[in-house]
Amino acid sequence: MQHVVEVVEHRKGQTRKVTFELATQARDLADRLGGTAHAVVLGSGAAELAEQLKAYPLDAVHVAEDPDVDAYLIDPTIDYVEAVARAVGSAVILVPNTMYGRDVASRIAARLGAGMVADVTGFEVEGGRVACVAPKLGGATITACAFRDGEYGVATVRPNAFAAQSGGAGARVDAIEKPPGRRYAMRIESEVEEASDELGLEEAPVVVSGGRGLGGADPFRTLLKPLADALGGAVGASRAAADAGWVPYSLQIGQTGKTVSPKLYIAVGISGAIQHKVGMRSSGTIVAVNKDGAAPIAEFSDLVVVGDAFAIIPELTKLVEAAKA
Amino acid sequence: MKIVVTVKLVPDLNASKSIDPATKRLVRAGAETVLNPYDEYALEAALQLKERLGGETSVTLLSMGPQATQETLRKALAMGADDAVVLSDDVLAGSDVAMTAAALAGALKNIGFDLVVCGGLADDGSTGGVPGALAEHLGVPGLTNARHVEIDDAVVKVQRETDSGYQVVTCPLPALVSVTMAVGEPRYASLKGIMGAKKKTIAPLCASDAGVGGLAPKTELLRFAAPPARTKARVVEAPDGATGARAIFEFLRERKLV
Repeated sequence: MQHVVEVVEHRKGQTRKVTFELATQARDLADRLGGTAHAVVLGSGAAELAEQLKAYPLDAVHVAEDPDVDAYLIDPTIDYVEAVARAVGSAVILVPNTMYGRDVASRIAARLGAGMVADVTGFEVEGGRVACVAPKLGGATITACAFRDGEYGVATVRPNAFAAQSGGAGARVDAIEKPPGRRYAMRIESEVEEASDELGLEEAPVVVSGGRGLGGADPFRTLLKPLADALGGAVGASRAAADAGWVPYSLQIGQTGKTVSPKLYIAVGISGAIQHKVGMRSSGTIVAVNKDGAAPIAEFSDLVVVGDAFAIIPELTKLVEAAKA
Repeated sequence: MKIVVTVKLVPDLNASKSIDPATKRLVRAGAETVLNPYDEYALEAALQLKERLGGETSVTLLSMGPQATQETLRKALAMGADDAVVLSDDVLAGSDVAMTAAALAGALKNIGFDLVVCGGLADDGSTGGVPGALAEHLGVPGLTNARHVEIDDAVVKVQRETDSGYQVVTCPLPALVSVTMAVGEPRYASLKGIMGAKKKTIAPLCASDAGVGGLAPKTELLRFAAPPARTKARVVEAPDGATGARAIFEFLRERKLV
């Protein structure tokens, strides 16, 4: 493996910080391997986003504004990524560790006969081989996993694990030729927005999460959301809160839900059962606000504040807002 | 209509898990083996489809792993699956995602299917790569992260979760779907189901019969270590909101998080 290819996640040209983190990491890894760094941007808005990516140290940005990419699920995307991977040659393919990224990674890895490592937080190059550092077993073990001999390897990369650093000479932008003779089956009939432009939970640098102690749906909007907004983060929940119907399951963190590892995790009214712990224990700093100082969450938090969340959180929101002003 | 649900048997979440330094594989002995919780939702979705479609619809479980643990599958049979196939072979031990997907694809081609239903993730490996890779190997549409599944006139229609809502996606059968927990809480086995499950078939399948005798993993675990230990938490009693808020704010400032 010599080159590095990033697959960019975006919606109509709008993307998130992880795209630029991956572009930076693609350059760094390509330099260590003695190869070139590439990005693939597909679908509506791709050309505009490619211009933005020129500010990052990539060698080439490969673009296809094909309506099929937006009309059909995943298959056209994989055909384009495959075309770029085969043209570039032996490469590590990077995608963000998000719902989209995991879909792309699993399909392109099988297509290329490549190995796949998920939730990668670092890369090591040893004797020309690439090893991916990734937490496993719910954060209980940090592993280093190498791609075996082969042309390609695929890594889903944890958002916020790498810095985004602009610079470089400005990548060339190439149009990708449409792979011929393909017919697609998975038609996207409609899209329904339930949360307006929320920050993806898995990409949020800060997560403010609520559990049974909140007692209902309203505090997620009135108590947690303002604090999350002030901190530039997203709202999450424990399984108890999702099961009670207070929040949609898409916000659930832990076993059978999402795994997050923000820089800051604030757990409000969450006892910290193992099912929750495995979804958030590798967060940078963990703050718990709980009535019960002996709740299990205290065992893996950095700060535990024993008190009434309904009194504490609004005051904290004010302090954070004041500090920003 | 033949529905196949892929199920994995995993160590119970509450058991302490470790990796064997010699084989670099998960130590499975000693920990209670349970159905992967994500797969219980896949089975629930399949059983709902069976109830709605009626007629000749059957639900088969497909599991891969050591033969000895497979009695745990009786629980899934008691929930309402009709039978089970266990792909078990020494040559498949130590499979990674790529090898698991290739092996399951071989087994699925062997047993036949109209629809494959998968859980989104396995509790132990947590890569989430099998459903997509499996669809690719089978050459069928792979509808991932479905929160609702319908089948009408050999067309699958799903509501597919996204970060901000959902998409409605359709495709013809045969196909693969992976589901989220929003499909509905897995049902409990009834007493009748538990009794009936004892008589259901758990059929073995070896790698060569599935046509997957020559697979090798594409990744190799080099090293593993415990994560850096978190220092013991600082505990602050907050008699009122302002005290609690101030304590958190100062702590976040110390750590340069605000």
